[in-house]
Amino acid sequence: MKKHLATLFGLLIIASMILAACGSKSAAPTEAASGEKVKIRWFVGLGTGTDPEQVTTQEEVVKDFNASQDRIELVLEVVPYDAARDTLSTQIASGAGPDIVGPVGWDGSNGFHGQWLDIAPYLKELNFDSSIFDPALMAFYQTEEGQVGLPFAVFPGGMFYRPDMFDEAGLSYPPQVYGEQYTMPDGSKVDWNWETVTKIAKLLTVDENGKNATEEGFDRTKIVQVGYAPQYQTILGIGTFYGGAAKIYSGDAKGSYQSNVPDSWKEAWKWYYDGMYGAEPFIATGPLATAPEFGNEDVFNAGKSAMALSQTWYTCCLGDLSKSGAQFQIGIQPLGNADGKVHGRIDADTFRILKSSQHPKEAVEVLTYLVTTGGDKLLPVYGAMPAIASKTDAFFEKKSADYAFVTKESWNVFTQGLAYPDTPSAEQYLPNSIKAYARFATFLDLLNNTDNVDFDAEYQKLIDDINVLYNE
Amino acid sequence: MLEELSKFQKPDSIGSVRTLSPIARREMRTGLSFISPWLFGFLAFTLLPMLATLIFSFLDLKITDGIFSAPKFAGFDNYVHLFQDPQAGINPATWFNSKTPGSLLITIKFALIALPIGTFFPLSLALLMNNKHLKGQFAFRTLFYMPYVVPFVASVFLWGGMLNSESGWVNRALEYLGVAHANLPQWANDVNWVYPTYVIMGIWGVGNSMLIMLASLQGVPTELYDAAKVDGASAWKILWNITFPMISPVIFYNLVLDIIGLFQYFLVPLVVNSGTGRPGGATMFYNLYLYKTFFTYQDMSYGSTLAWFLFVIILLITIILFSTSKYWVYYAGESKS
Repeated sequence: MKKHLATLFGLLIIASMILAACGSKSAAPTEAASGEKVKIRWFVGLGTGTDPEQVTTQEEVVKDFNASQDRIELVLEVVPYDAARDTLSTQIASGAGPDIVGPVGWDGSNGFHGQWLDIAPYLKELNFDSSIFDPALMAFYQTEEGQVGLPFAVFPGGMFYRPDMFDEAGLSYPPQVYGEQYTMPDGSKVDWNWETVTKIAKLLTVDENGKNATEEGFDRTKIVQVGYAPQYQTILGIGTFYGGAAKIYSGDAKGSYQSNVPDSWKEAWKWYYDGMYGAEPFIATGPLATAPEFGNEDVFNAGKSAMALSQTWYTCCLGDLSKSGAQFQIGIQPLGNADGKVHGRIDADTFRILKSSQHPKEAVEVLTYLVTTGGDKLLPVYGAMPAIASKTDAFFEKKSADYAFVTKESWNVFTQGLAYPDTPSAEQYLPNSIKAYARFATFLDLLNNTDNVDFDAEYQKLIDDINVLYNE
Repeated sequence: MLEELSKFQKPDSIGSVRTLSPIARREMRTGLSFISPWLFGFLAFTLLPMLATLIFSFLDLKITDGIFSAPKFAGFDNYVHLFQDPQAGINPATWFNSKTPGSLLITIKFALIALPIGTFFPLSLALLMNNKHLKGQFAFRTLFYMPYVVPFVASVFLWGGMLNSESGWVNRALEYLGVAHANLPQWANDVNWVYPTYVIMGIWGVGNSMLIMLASLQGVPTELYDAAKVDGASAWKILWNITFPMISPVIFYNLVLDIIGLFQYFLVPLVVNSGTGRPGGATMFYNLYLYKTFFTYQDMSYGSTLAWFLFVIILLITIILFSTSKYWVYYAGESKS
């Protein structure tokens, strides 16, 4: 019996060694013969684009492109979202990667860091006019890998607010034009920064006896409405909004990586924690936010928050709130307390080209078509706001049909927000990305759900762990 | 005749199959064809993945590398890492000097709390249900069994809501009864309360175990009780000397399944505490860590190593349990040579 087990074990080890030795790294270039069309493969699945209606429109765009010229044949490959990451990994590993990938956000592209093509030289060669985009948005896609994409589908941020709750508290509404100040209850004009947001959020946090968080006798255990909700923001998002965009690691190779979280982010996370568990709370704690009455984390849509900072994509899902008869408007994103600058955030999807593409110039030519002419058909089915400001009208017309009460000034906040991307993104690449992001998420979970946290100790533990994970 | 039958039922070797009569062979082929879907399923979806994971545990393979990428032979690196990994907690030396509680220790600690309750609570309920003085037995049985019909995930969500420290009705009821808000249990958010919380959620679904125990209790021959009563045995003596031995095979069966289930404990911490290990890492159960390694961190090789270690542990415990069974499990029909 022992002999049989030893033989089996030996065979398994040999099998694993053979498997290790047999891996192939051969690439299969697909050179086009002279006179033949160059084939460009467009991979869809890492983000949106897999719904039947979207696939039909994408096929239409492919047909339009192929009919518009006779040098390039664009081929669409749609892979279901759940399998897309593995499929793309496999294709790249086997040397059969596609040319164009997208639409894909930062998060989806982080898994393929180092494999994206710098398209800047090709844009120059093709004389592409990038002035149609806000320069800040062009810079948004400049990473250490170069210009990795062009602005396409964007989701700028804004402060969603409930006018009725502001009226009830006797407060003026958040400003709707960047540069405008906020009028405090005493009539003084102040910057719309996080200090101001905090002050009015406390006044808008109400217990079941109608007392606000600053009043004597306020019962924090009986909160019925909070002043502020960082709606669906990650901990990196909270840091970016409050402390400003920052690259949060340094180093360029395993062994040299180090956490570089700025002090302003640490301050942001402390502020966030105090907002939940401090003396005058104004943010729902984890248990409260996950309670059914508070919408199972969808606090603003449940009508339980007076303000919520989120992106345009949140307009997808405010049906419960509008059906209840409540209305909302949108104010500008707050300024940093210290630097007085707008700390905006933009979530964005675009198309990228893999470095392994055999026909990079042709791939860039297709990409420019997709973000401009093709975008007219694609963006509506993706439900995304166009990055080209002059094309946003159709997007907001559709939104106005969903929420007739939202004013033009409110929608215009998002258009203005295009000038305030977070560069680098709050979804930036991190070394050992998956584990590092999971560790940050655990820290946020701890803050959300634990009273009396030794913040400094937990923060230090986070940084220590992150430093290990970066170099693992 | 019986000897002939036993020969047919239990061939010693492949050679003895050849000695079977044509009818017996035909019956065997028919039998095999009937179980072939199961055999195929077992080979394709259990044995093959098991062997694959065993091979993966000797490689350095990540899902993100792609399945056609060259896997790197890692030898015993993953097993060495397993013994050094404080989160896995295999090495007892890391149990008490690591800042993060090890997943294996967490699982064992929880098992020590949950196992006795999970075994004796359904038994107690079954004894109650079996009591002839209990009125409305059928209604009670149905009521106790009903929660088992509710999908487990749904019941976990339900309990998550009921035990929500801010808005759950359990805390509201406690507050109504005069417990100060500051003294209310934080349930799944408190290191001291999180295991009792999980146990409470588990108890809700004991209907099935209770029913099995009840069926076993009802199978105990009544003449044994009658004889004991004639001899003047007390209720406790009857329970200890007749009931327990007679239902010990069922207790044993439940115990084995419970232990396996506890080492595979995963869904509740994933749903209730978002799989983060909160509070203070106390809910990063071994199987949850395995799941995260596989599907969140996408480290197939180390995930496979963790899975194989879990398999070995469960196997060892099961073997130990079976070896002790001869001392306390009574099989009425068993003949001992």
